Amino acid sequence: MTLAKPIVLAEDNPRDAELALAAMEEEHISDKVVLCHDGAEVLDYLYCRGPFKTRLKENPAVVFLDLKMPKVNGLEVLRTIKADTNLRAIPVVMLTSSREEKDLAESYTLGANAYVVKPVEFQQFLSAVKELGVFWGVINEPPPERACSHQ
Amino acid sequence: MESATNHQAQAPSLHDDVGKLPVGSTPAITAPSQRIIRWFQTLTIEQRVLTGFSLVFVGILIISAISYHNTNGLLRNNGLDGRSHALIQLLGSIDAAMGEAEGTHRRYLVTGEQAYLEAYKRVIAQKPTFTTYLNELTQDSPEQQRRAGELNRLMERQVSVESKAITHVQERGIQSVRKMALEGAGRRELDGIHQIISEMDVYERQALNRRVIESAANTRHTIMLLAVGAGLQLVLLASVYYLIRHDITERRRVAGELQHRGELLEAANKELEAFSYSVSHDLRAPLRHIDGYAALLRKTVDQSLNEKAARYLQTISDAAKQMGQLIDDLLVFSRMGRQDMLQTTVNMDQLIKSILSDLRLDLHGRQISWTIASLPEVKGDPSMLRQVFMNLLTNALKFTSTKPMASIEIGVEPPSSDEVVVYVRDNGVGFDMQYAPKLFGVFQRLHRADEFEGTGIGLANVRRIVHRHGGRTWADGMPDKGATFYVALPRGGIQV
Repeated sequence: MTLAKPIVLAEDNPRDAELALAAMEEEHISDKVVLCHDGAEVLDYLYCRGPFKTRLKENPAVVFLDLKMPKVNGLEVLRTIKADTNLRAIPVVMLTSSREEKDLAESYTLGANAYVVKPVEFQQFLSAVKELGVFWGVINEPPPERACSHQ
Repeated sequence: MESATNHQAQAPSLHDDVGKLPVGSTPAITAPSQRIIRWFQTLTIEQRVLTGFSLVFVGILIISAISYHNTNGLLRNNGLDGRSHALIQLLGSIDAAMGEAEGTHRRYLVTGEQAYLEAYKRVIAQKPTFTTYLNELTQDSPEQQRRAGELNRLMERQVSVESKAITHVQERGIQSVRKMALEGAGRRELDGIHQIISEMDVYERQALNRRVIESAANTRHTIMLLAVGAGLQLVLLASVYYLIRHDITERRRVAGELQHRGELLEAANKELEAFSYSVSHDLRAPLRHIDGYAALLRKTVDQSLNEKAARYLQTISDAAKQMGQLIDDLLVFSRMGRQDMLQTTVNMDQLIKSILSDLRLDLHGRQISWTIASLPEVKGDPSMLRQVFMNLLTNALKFTSTKPMASIEIGVEPPSSDEVVVYVRDNGVGFDMQYAPKLFGVFQRLHRADEFEGTGIGLANVRRIVHRHGGRTWADGMPDKGATFYVALPRGGIQV
């Protein structure tokens, strides 16, 4: 599989991150995954700040966002992305444990492109993450490039 | 509210008992009053107020009737007094007139002066008027009437004797009536007349006196009655006012308390909501990790894994999955409790039809005899009610799975005015009625996990939803003889 652009995975829990990466590994797309440990790091990446200052100036193919994260939570990151004309086009997939109606409603209202509840069962989790990675990273055609162009 | 008024009503009676016991009054005397107090305590506040107002009303009626009667008596006495005075006056006039008649007639006899005869005639010309008045004024008293008759007769006689004497003197001259003229012709009658008139006068004055005393007493009684009556009305009205006021204060207090409790409950609910939210997030993650790492481990050591180790890993995965299921069910249960509820008309026939169509995969390969009655429409939340009957039907299917021929019935109880009762009956494994109270509890199971799968949340959800609709649930069953689950929903929907 060829993956043109990076996938941003925002996941504060190292075990969840490892399991997700294991899943992507099976599809051989894990090397393109950029792992962020909280919402602030995601924003740093998107705005090419801090440790990501020197990164290749291109938008990711997709951002997988956990809801509950330290510093800046998933909904706040989502709000920032969808409020920024340069980032708005990036597909954002909420990947969370919460099945709460208000989380679902708020995510979609803010402009999330998809909402996926992490299955407890590993096999299902595995296939969900694999499918998500393949769909958004490979099958889906990402929007035209505008990364960090405002800087 | 009910208990509060009872408490209030009992307080005085308790006090009464304490007050009466030392005096040593016999139960026979206090029994009726105690019965009245006891009866009064059984009344609601509305009935008590009504009783109070009725007593006031009846009191006013009685006082008005008695006052009317007394005033009428006074008026009648007043009328009689007027007659008595007129009669006394008339008697005086008659007395004087008859005396004058006797005088003038005698003078005529003696002197033969025409002027005396004229005077005499003038006097006796009044006689018929006297008679008429006399009859009129005595008609209320038979005794006076009798005397009036006697008086009339005497007057009649006096006049006739006198006129005879006058004729005599005119025909035969003064000498023939000399003796009579000196003595007076009607002397005897005149004495009788005096006698009777004074009798009548005394009688009438006595009657007048009697009536004056009677009227005074009557007036005194009326005033007293009015005073006492007004006092009683005031006391009654004050009691009714006290009752109403007490009730209002009590209601206010209860309303305040209810509001306070409502606020506390709301706060507790919010807390619970936050709790279940964090449960949904934070409990799920470690479970996913347990299952995930067990899977990764199996994959990593795939070749060298012996059968025992593989089973251990499988058990770890299964346990994690089961707990995941429990958490999910619990979250659904919690959501059912706070989710906003719709209130529409639900067509139960269609609801059941759509559930059965969803369950058709589970029905595959099963022998089931269905009995489905025509069901009424109910008021409620369609998706919640769907969950109720989905749970009941999956239960029926699950617990008849051991039977070669399952029989499931969906029916409705004979209609009642306030409830619609729908039941789901099966011929499955049933249950022992002694465990019935546990059936609808959260995570309560009457069967071992290896007999029938499930987390034990389905019926808890059923009960929670039905309660939120203002309804009831219950169940009948016998081991190995099947079970019937009833759902009763208020006919008009829940009253908010």
